[in-house]
Amino acid sequence: MANMRRMSQRSVFSRELMHRLSSMPLAITLLTVLALASVIGTVLQQNQAQQDYLQQFGPLWYWVFRSLGLFDMYHTWWFLVLLGFLMVSLSFCLWRNVPRMLKEMRSHKVYISERAFSHIKQQRRWLVSADSAEHIADKLKQALKEWQWRQEERDGVLYLRADRGNRHKWGYIIVHSAILVILVGGWISVQFGLRGDMAVVEGSSENEISYLKGTHTEYKTMPFDVRCNSFEINFYPNGMPSEFRSNLTIIDHGKEVLTSDIIVNKPLYYKGVRIYQASFGDGGSHVKLKLFDLQGDRPPRIIDTQVYQTYKDDISGFSFEITDFRPHNVENMAAAGQPKDFQDLGPSVDFVIRGNGLKPVKMRSFLQPLEIDGENRGSIMMISTTGDKRDFQSIGLGLDLTNPKEWALYHAFISRLQRLKLEGKNARRMAFKSAMEEVFGDQRPKNFQQMAVRVINGVQALPQLPWAVLPVLDDYDQKYYTGLQLAKDPGMNVVWAGSALLVWGLCIMLYISHRKLWFIIRPQDGQWRVEMAGISNRNPLNFNREFHTLLSRAEQATAHNPSKGVDE
Amino acid sequence: MSMTQSMAAASPWFQGKPAFVRFWAYIGLMLGATGLALWGGDGYSEDSYIFQLTSMQGVLWLGTGLLLGAALAAIASVAKAEWGESPLAERLVSWGDGAVLMIAMMALFTLFEPSASALSYEDQSNLFSIKLIMAMNVLFLFSAICYILMLFAPESFVARMATGTAWMGVYVGGSMLLLRWYESYLFMDGSIGHAPVSNLYEVFMLLFCITVIVYLQWEKRYQAQAMGAFVMALVAAGVFFEIWLGSIGQADIKPLVPALQSYWMKIHVPLNFVGYGSFAVACGAGMAYLTRQWLEQRNPAMKVLKVFPSLEQLDQLAYKSVAVGFPAFTLATILGAAWAAEAWGGYWSWDPKETWALIVWLVYGAYLHVRISHGWQGRTLAWWTVSGFLVTVFCFLGVNMYLSGLHSYGRLS
Ligand code: HEM
Repeated sequence: MANMRRMSQRSVFSRELMHRLSSMPLAITLLTVLALASVIGTVLQQNQAQQDYLQQFGPLWYWVFRSLGLFDMYHTWWFLVLLGFLMVSLSFCLWRNVPRMLKEMRSHKVYISERAFSHIKQQRRWLVSADSAEHIADKLKQALKEWQWRQEERDGVLYLRADRGNRHKWGYIIVHSAILVILVGGWISVQFGLRGDMAVVEGSSENEISYLKGTHTEYKTMPFDVRCNSFEINFYPNGMPSEFRSNLTIIDHGKEVLTSDIIVNKPLYYKGVRIYQASFGDGGSHVKLKLFDLQGDRPPRIIDTQVYQTYKDDISGFSFEITDFRPHNVENMAAAGQPKDFQDLGPSVDFVIRGNGLKPVKMRSFLQPLEIDGENRGSIMMISTTGDKRDFQSIGLGLDLTNPKEWALYHAFISRLQRLKLEGKNARRMAFKSAMEEVFGDQRPKNFQQMAVRVINGVQALPQLPWAVLPVLDDYDQKYYTGLQLAKDPGMNVVWAGSALLVWGLCIMLYISHRKLWFIIRPQDGQWRVEMAGISNRNPLNFNREFHTLLSRAEQATAHNPSKGVDE
Repeated sequence: MSMTQSMAAASPWFQGKPAFVRFWAYIGLMLGATGLALWGGDGYSEDSYIFQLTSMQGVLWLGTGLLLGAALAAIASVAKAEWGESPLAERLVSWGDGAVLMIAMMALFTLFEPSASALSYEDQSNLFSIKLIMAMNVLFLFSAICYILMLFAPESFVARMATGTAWMGVYVGGSMLLLRWYESYLFMDGSIGHAPVSNLYEVFMLLFCITVIVYLQWEKRYQAQAMGAFVMALVAAGVFFEIWLGSIGQADIKPLVPALQSYWMKIHVPLNFVGYGSFAVACGAGMAYLTRQWLEQRNPAMKVLKVFPSLEQLDQLAYKSVAVGFPAFTLATILGAAWAAEAWGGYWSWDPKETWALIVWLVYGAYLHVRISHGWQGRTLAWWTVSGFLVTVFCFLGVNMYLSGLHSYGRLS
């Protein structure tokens, strides 16, 4: 006895639970809570470096946010539980409603009670003379052929029911199953999928991908190697990149099996893995820098180094950490407010200069001097004291350092100025003249006037610099790396199937309305009284209109004169 | 009653056989265009397809399709009279008319383009589309004023002006967007040509046109002109924002970054804006609902109320707008995921734009549930459409403006 009671209690409890889990308020709450939770992850940047978070929020909030997993929110247990809850709720919802709906769609119930009939908003009645009720029914069916008809006789009264859009309930079933399918597909993707990055330097190959797991990086070896034969960037005439293109070869067990180009939006497919063009960077280009000693009279020296390496110059005590090389630098050279004027400043190298007690500074040096309107304005440099590329400021050096004669002239001039310690305009002119004779003799080069201006500018600019040496890009042999993303996603097709179902189901659900018509035909004063009523489960605005069209068709079919109709 | 409705009702062109034949002529036209893309002589070039269509070869394909479609339909309608009675054709044929008219206008406008030597990428202010944008802005603003005036002076003249200028704005705007597509080929030897859905400025104008079209459909079918005051007020606010965007140099035609060079862009973006535009109309209906309710409470005898649609009607129109927008937005988001899968290797990466699209989707999904659950009033639903639209606006604008640090479309630039 007690046992039975417990059992029935349990079944009451489980029925109640199921009721709750499949209820509409829960659906609304779930959707709203999911929406709110998703907001958090967009406001808080995800998967950044932990120090950045610490700096941004301070120790207390950092700890709170970290404990809640907010820095990788979409993979936290509570977010996944939320999604799981949605799945459970959807399943119960389907479990509870589908049998009922299928039954309803198949139901052949035609009889309608007086009471239920009177509650229907859209209705009319009229009188018809005819041989039999059957006769009228045939006429009605003939007039509204596109409807599904059923009929039943009870106590000498003929009940007719016509349906359209009966499939409507399938919409509900399809939509809610589709969401389940999509969630399952997503779960398969996360569980069995693979996605990671691979950087391949031009000319070399790679088989390891790296990916973030939570907040730390993990590595995985692929079953094949990817070789990058070349990487190139094409540009629009205004300097914006128009295309990033890698030529790749897949090497499987030592055999070259496939060579192909990939660009953004056009990946390569091999053994279930897609290979995408995702990023690029310098793959360790060789660069030659010319070091100019700003003090003393050592001739310029050439150093040979590579991007991502640090060169220590023992003579001056400075070190240069080469960080990047760029073959093009397209800049808008127009003054503010003027029409844009894009110009390529040519190749450049970025490096950090350190040493001799000076603050490290980021520099960018160019291969070519600056040219404006065909006139050589001397070499320039960009300097950023914060180390951030956005803070680069350009500095004109005056001199064209790519011209050895010009450097010689500068050097001869400045050493005379220092040696003579002369003051005054005249002395400077004398010193310049003597320097000129030393370097060029009698033969002045073409455009000497401009060179003279540059040398004078150089005398003003160069001694201001705090560094004893100045590296200038002299030669390069460029090499890119191509940043690839490799992905394998067995859940993807499940998601697409679910998506197709979802859209299809939504269209059924939102655009097909289930409309029902009832006709009750009963004898009255030797004639027949026809009562007609109709309802639609949605879109009353349209149905009001449709009902009136249907009504006049029904009335005409039964040869009734509407003016005698009895309005309800 | 609106102008187009009275026109449509009066003209036999929109009914029966003529509508049926014209409908199939348009279908033939589209099949011809598809045929050209698939089997045309020079092969299919995605972006310059618009030029292939206007070449001699294109005219032949399109013309053949058009004539064939019309001829077959004519024969069919003679052979079997009831085939000629197609409500679907009657309903859809005016969309074909509208599209053809826009394309014709665009072709006409190309004649006003400055000569090649007068065009420069750096200074695009002499493009003809700039003048059309101005005309569109003026038309929409004027229309908004007329719709609002109409609430207080419901004369038929003002009402006609309101509807008429709204339609004109749609046609000027639509043909202007097509013209901009054409214009994008005039620079840099055609290397940067692309559909005008690539930046905020362009999609804003697309959004106005779609919003107004959706609204005008409701106006055409249901007597709900007062709702126009609210929808067009939203459009007018958008127009001011667009003018501001233009003033900070966002109006130029620019090359596409590699990430956007995909046919998906042309499908995904416009479909998304069908969603946004419908949600804007739903918001207009919601605002009209709340306004009506507020006015009724203050003074039920107010004259303005006579012009307003009933509460039930407004509620229905809001629902109908969501019913148009929700599937479109769902499909657009799915296609966006398909694009992401093709471009980045994953259909979903919780990028802020993606996540906000999901949020918008959940909000309107919840709206649909709230509607059929018992005990909720029309008032709640009206507020839901208004706040849902605020969420939509954040997804559309806010994400780009405030969360841009995260937003990684165009990762490579
Ligand atoms: C992301 C999730 C969901 C989406 C997109 C969705 C979508 C929809 C749509 C579009 C409708 C039709 C509304 C209308 O007729 O106008 C609907 C109805 C309904 N939904 Fe959902 N739904 C979701 C989740 C849920 C959940 C979790 C539940 C249950 C707990 C649920 C229960 C229902 C019920 C009972 C109906 C009414 C069906 C009817 O009687 O016609 N839905 N849903």
